[in-house]
Amino acid sequence: MNNIATQRIKREFKEVIKSEELAKCSIKVDLIGDSYTELKGEIAGPPDTPYEGGTFFLEIKVPETYPFNPPKVRFMTKIWHPNISSVTGAICLDILKDQWAAAMTLRTVLLSLQALMAAAEPDDPQDAVVAKQYKEYPEIFAKTASHWTNVYAGGPNKNSEFDTKIQRLIDMGIERDQARGALSTYNWDLERATEQLFS
Amino acid sequence: MATTSNESDSSRKNTDNRENDNKDEQNNMFECNICLDYAKDAVVSVCGHLFCWPCLHQWLETRSSRQVCPVCKAVISKDKVIPIYGRGNTKQEDPRNKVPPRPAGQRTEPDANTGFPGFNFGDGGFHLSFGIGAFPFGFLTSFNFSDRHGVPVGGQLPQDDHYLSKLFLWIAVIFIIWLLLA
Repeated sequence: MNNIATQRIKREFKEVIKSEELAKCSIKVDLIGDSYTELKGEIAGPPDTPYEGGTFFLEIKVPETYPFNPPKVRFMTKIWHPNISSVTGAICLDILKDQWAAAMTLRTVLLSLQALMAAAEPDDPQDAVVAKQYKEYPEIFAKTASHWTNVYAGGPNKNSEFDTKIQRLIDMGIERDQARGALSTYNWDLERATEQLFS
Repeated sequence: MATTSNESDSSRKNTDNRENDNKDEQNNMFECNICLDYAKDAVVSVCGHLFCWPCLHQWLETRSSRQVCPVCKAVISKDKVIPIYGRGNTKQEDPRNKVPPRPAGQRTEPDANTGFPGFNFGDGGFHLSFGIGAFPFGFLTSFNFSDRHGVPVGGQLPQDDHYLSKLFLWIAVIFIIWLLLA
């Protein structure tokens, strides 16, 4: 791997370790292997959002041309957010694409993602279904996001109403994650979700 | 007594820490914003951000269509980057070569304000231009007399100026009357 990229990741790694945010447990970076090309990021769900209390893991791949090109970042933890794919975890964020600048670091990327979680941009969505719900039914969106945080990221808010509906679909032979996805998509309308799953 | 000695100990520790912090800060001050290492062949952008020249050059190459400062995203270009020449270390050792040399500093010589401006009529002091457009008034577009510094130099020039402008005015008036009559 390119020498600049490795050198930089080493320095940035130290920067994150020294940072205040790590002390506050809000961001963290871990190495995967010793190659410095693949890392695991960790973001705490920002306070006063449906993601509060959850821990979200990220897959960070550092390209050969880093820092002249952005790192490839994806959510490994499933998340319900207009700018993040609920299926693949792909992120729609300008600084990870054309607005990248070479002076940005892993630390600033993780902090930007945390800011994105706190302030979604539904007009530039990655997941159109989530974005539509965010705009049309903000309350259902907040409940859904909070439920997903509870299930996938260890958040505190259990939603027994949603769990019952999911269980109904599981009883019909649907896989759990698929049932949750369909119900979330159809605003927790059990009939419409069932219809879609069996059509 | 014990407390006092403790206090002085802790205050000494504090000053030590502060000195270390200062040293760290000073080192950070001269780090390239791209490789985060001590800046080699340092250049500074117009917006004031420090880079190694090879790093900045590679950044400008990567984003040739949209050249912005990697730190503040202000518009930057190769021509407007200022090299920093420190004292001492002048060896040209750079592992990432194949990079064009860092742009030279831009120097402007101070104005050597000598000679007799009166004789400068021919070399750049006199400027006269005409244009004949579709519209007859286009005829007398511009004529101006300027010396080097835009200040009247005295002597004959201002009077000539006055005389010539009157002359041209008359030519223009005659031309317009001729156009109207024709």
